Amino acid sequence: MRKRCVILFMTILPVFVFAGCKGKSSAHDSNEMVLHQMLNSKIKCLDPVLIQDEYSMNVCNHMFETLYQYHYLKRPYQLVPLLADGMPEFSGDGLTCTVRIKKGIRFQDDKCFPNGKGREFKSSDFAYGVRRTADVKSLSPNWAVIENKIAGLDEFREYTKTCKTAADVNYSRSIEGLLTPDDYTIIIKLKRPWPQLVDNLMVDVRNAPMAKEAVDYYGKDIIAHPVGTGPFILKNWERASYIELVRNPNFRGEPYPTEGDPGDKEAGLLDDAGKTMPFADKVVWTIIEEDQPSWLLFMQGKIDARAIPKDSWNEAMTATNDLTPKMKQLEIRLYAFKDPSTFYLGFNMLDPVLSKNKPLRQAINHAIDRETFIKLFFNNTYDIAYGVIPPVLASYNPDIKNRGYSDYDPNKSKELLVEAEKIQGGKIPPLKIAMQGTDTFYRQYGSFVQRQLEVIGLNVEVEYMDWPTFQEKENKRQHQIFAGGGGAGIPDAQDSLSEYYSKYWSPGVNHFNYKNPEFDRLYEQTEVMMDSPERTKLYQKMELIVLEDCPAAFLDHRVRYVLVHDWNKNYKPDIFGYGLSKYYKVDLKKRAEYPELLNKVKD
Amino acid sequence: MTENTRELKPPKGVSFWQDGLHRLFRRPIAIVCLIVILLYFFLAAFIYLAEFFHWQIGPAIWSQATGPSYQQPCMQNILGTDIFGQSVLRKMLYGAKISITVAFSASLISIAIGLPLGAVAGYFRGIVDEIVVWIYSTLSSVPYILLILAFAVVLHDKTIAGIKLAGITSVYLAIGLTSWVDLCRLIRGEVIKHKEREYIIAAKSYGCSNSRIIFKHLLPNVFHIVIIIFSLQFVSFIHAEIILSFLGLGEANRPSWGAMINDARIELARGVWWQMVAATVAVFFISLALNIFGDALRDSLDPKLRVQ
Amino acid sequence: MGAYIIRRLLYTIPIVFGVLLLTFILFTVVGGDISFEIAGKNASPETIKEIREEYGFNKPLFLAWDSQLVRHFKDALTFDFGRALDREPVIDKIKRGVGPSLSLTIPIFFGEVIISVSIALVIAFLRGRIWDILAVILCIAGMSIPYLSFILFGQYFLAYKLRLFPVFFSPDLSVPQYVALPVLIGIVTGLGGSVRFYRTVMLDEMRADYVRTAFAKGLDVKSVLFKHVLKNAMIPILTQVVLAIPFLFLGSLLLERFFGIPGVGYLMVEAIGSRDYFVINAMTYISAILFVIFNLITDVCYALVDPRITLD
Repeated sequence: MRKRCVILFMTILPVFVFAGCKGKSSAHDSNEMVLHQMLNSKIKCLDPVLIQDEYSMNVCNHMFETLYQYHYLKRPYQLVPLLADGMPEFSGDGLTCTVRIKKGIRFQDDKCFPNGKGREFKSSDFAYGVRRTADVKSLSPNWAVIENKIAGLDEFREYTKTCKTAADVNYSRSIEGLLTPDDYTIIIKLKRPWPQLVDNLMVDVRNAPMAKEAVDYYGKDIIAHPVGTGPFILKNWERASYIELVRNPNFRGEPYPTEGDPGDKEAGLLDDAGKTMPFADKVVWTIIEEDQPSWLLFMQGKIDARAIPKDSWNEAMTATNDLTPKMKQLEIRLYAFKDPSTFYLGFNMLDPVLSKNKPLRQAINHAIDRETFIKLFFNNTYDIAYGVIPPVLASYNPDIKNRGYSDYDPNKSKELLVEAEKIQGGKIPPLKIAMQGTDTFYRQYGSFVQRQLEVIGLNVEVEYMDWPTFQEKENKRQHQIFAGGGGAGIPDAQDSLSEYYSKYWSPGVNHFNYKNPEFDRLYEQTEVMMDSPERTKLYQKMELIVLEDCPAAFLDHRVRYVLVHDWNKNYKPDIFGYGLSKYYKVDLKKRAEYPELLNKVKD
Repeated sequence: MTENTRELKPPKGVSFWQDGLHRLFRRPIAIVCLIVILLYFFLAAFIYLAEFFHWQIGPAIWSQATGPSYQQPCMQNILGTDIFGQSVLRKMLYGAKISITVAFSASLISIAIGLPLGAVAGYFRGIVDEIVVWIYSTLSSVPYILLILAFAVVLHDKTIAGIKLAGITSVYLAIGLTSWVDLCRLIRGEVIKHKEREYIIAAKSYGCSNSRIIFKHLLPNVFHIVIIIFSLQFVSFIHAEIILSFLGLGEANRPSWGAMINDARIELARGVWWQMVAATVAVFFISLALNIFGDALRDSLDPKLRVQ
Repeated sequence: MGAYIIRRLLYTIPIVFGVLLLTFILFTVVGGDISFEIAGKNASPETIKEIREEYGFNKPLFLAWDSQLVRHFKDALTFDFGRALDREPVIDKIKRGVGPSLSLTIPIFFGEVIISVSIALVIAFLRGRIWDILAVILCIAGMSIPYLSFILFGQYFLAYKLRLFPVFFSPDLSVPQYVALPVLIGIVTGLGGSVRFYRTVMLDEMRADYVRTAFAKGLDVKSVLFKHVLKNAMIPILTQVVLAIPFLFLGSLLLERFFGIPGVGYLMVEAIGSRDYFVINAMTYISAILFVIFNLITDVCYALVDPRITLD
């Protein structure tokens, strides 16, 4: 035994020596301002047209710019020009939109351009980006949003279907509604009014302007060679471990916003007003899929900001939802903010058992104890979802919680179940619930729902599948009950409500395959309405129609609790903006002193 | 030592099995291990019965809450509780059923493939042998863990011939379909050796049919290899189930040791160590017992057998 | 000799063919059409159609000159594995992963061999005594603890609680830093099995006639052990070592996943999670080829050393 110990010790010894020596790479210029951020998922691609996830959108937005962006400080969210010069001009009927773009903006230097020098950004680059989304050969998953909106674009898509290969598509084909009369003007002609035109087409990075040279030069490898006009350029992308961006030397320099909400000035958010962005020389996102390691890195000061992981909650927060004294001593700031998301248990309305049986769906709806759910899984922080529209949106109906659609009432459920069995003509067959993951969270989530439904006497089988399988079944309309959810991408409830529009059945966004003619009528009516109190009223009416039909049991809206180290200046929660690193600034002195502070607090 | 004792006995015929088992039962540790293994098997069988007859007994009603969420080990819950207040002890006991089912089914599949293939290849030689050797050489040239994973990924959630391969079914199919190679190789070698022995030649000269020779004469004489391999592979199957569970390819609806260890991975952060310890201990004892017993079995029945 | 090598080479052809057939059956016939996985969320039918066309899922499986089987063979033999689900060429992914994987597996492997051979030698020397029995029991006990538990305990206590090591890979760490703890855990985990294996090897040698002769000659234990036993035991040990080399390229699935080391094992775990058959297929094929090659090398080396060996 002793020998074994000695040998063990001998193997540990060199390891200690290794751990003791410092790596080369960590010794960098101390005056360089580096932002250390983290992602808990791998970046899939850096080609805007193929983006499917928020993480890639976030990173891409640092390199690609769009015509407009949301004001960083002002709430409610306001559009401000980015590449565009001034706000868009709409014709009287709202069908023609003219955008002028800033002159003298250059792409980053890249070998795809002649002599490797980035050329000037032109209006045709925007049109090219939109055409790529429409091109069926580029396999963009984001076409549905702009489908049937811009005159001639759908015909262009039809044309691309007739082409044999991607190389055959003629991008110079004219499109009636996508005009670039000169290098600095874009004219968009719509088939019918589209109130979300700017949000969906000119803010969303997935339709960002692209340089055709880059796409032609890199071919399929364009996913790893972003060429944009943004404040940062790609330096290093180690797919599974980190992604590193550095300041774009060609960047024109954008001024930090000079106005903000009340309170922003006091919070120091206007200290840099008017100064040229970006402030940071480098942004590094470390990709860490496990919660614990990234939490530890945050506590060691190696990551600037991080949401509190579920299982480390008690370390950071007290019972009264305040930071623990330790966190306060470490000068960590807490930001709690709602995000525009809704999570639910969806019912497939094409399923023979569920579709004809509203009492059954309602019985399930009332059998789920949302309060306990949020307590067990989200440390009591999320909001109960009483309806479709998340509370952060302006059209949220504050009265909705009194309607009782999300009440936990097992007795009522049991009564409803009796009724349901009459409709079914016998016992309800075992129901299947699909979970989009196989990890601990989903397994516990699944077994929670299962137990809740067992209480009212429903036999449930939970099927855990990996995300691709879940998606495939969703697209093929094969789920019976499924755990799903998602966030609105733009500050407009239309995004959330579109999930119930019958023309968007799976593989579209309506995974419930829900159809209600009245809802559809109102949806089509609001689709062409500009923001107004009438539209809000209609939105709320539509929401009630959905709740009455019960195509889903709505569970929760996410609330984020983010911790930020004190050195990370200019941090403000922004749920619709991406590419925010350009605003951030690091107090390098403070960051350098943190290890000392950490040592003091530990004792 | 054994030779001495045999000489002292009256000159009575001792069969191969009697001799082997006699040697085995002279090792007290082996007996203790066998008892432990049998306990696990009885536990699994008992849970099957309890579930079938709806007995309201401990492990069969693991899903009932017995305390608050994440309760520390205490008097009511000796091994504490999990997120839903379910008793970890019950889950641990229930896990025996899943693990034993997986390992047992996988063993049966691997024997069902390896034994006949090995016997046929060794007996007939020629083209049949070439094909069998080719198949197992191919399988064994892919790293074992990769092979299991590839099978498990492909079979997971697939519907083949109308049967849905959910949960543990795909797990034991993947393990069983990939791990018959060792057994097949050993059986083939043994059969080739036995084929030249007098008793087979005699049987042939009597005009016994090939199937009769294989089933009546050859298989009983190589069957000890099956038992040795069974006991030694059983451990690795239990461990394989844990790894597959961790990778999300295993049982998800019922508690299994792999799932418990996997849950503990994130729960350790809030100081919940009891799930992990419970599952580790459960795996530890059956593995230890199987390892020691398997070794003892091999030493008593066929000490020259080389198993990886 | 030349004839032997040629025959041995020819013998690998059916094996490679078998592996190709196996991967084809697994990933194309049973695995099937993964165009939905490639397309991702909310994929429209026309996108699916385009993908099926591009990846050839609409082609017949067998019996056609452009069948999927032919394509599978052609791609594999030219080492063209196409692009993974995230559209990065599979071969680039694997190439990138080999470095970190080797930086993890090589120290584990050699650490384990050196330590376990030394322990086995000591045990063989003490054979039959209480230390030997104790060591054997310890080995079996070590083998009986699940691998995952080892990793979890190691990460939790040595990295979180005692803070002796970095918990996780991070880009600013040097290789020795982030590899230290996983290597340590890897060695400790494997020790049980390999000590037991080498102990058997040593004991087999100890029973050989030449050892008896050496003792009879009056040599002391030390010189018998080191001059004779170890030398002869080196043959099975070296075989074991050479045959293990191809597995080193595979990295370690669980260690890489837990410590975030961006190696081949991690790639594999990721591919399993996202059902990326392209990656799993390429990995299976490449590792089989490596195994076949190293097997060939060992056999040829044996034949060179030992003239008695012929192809059986």
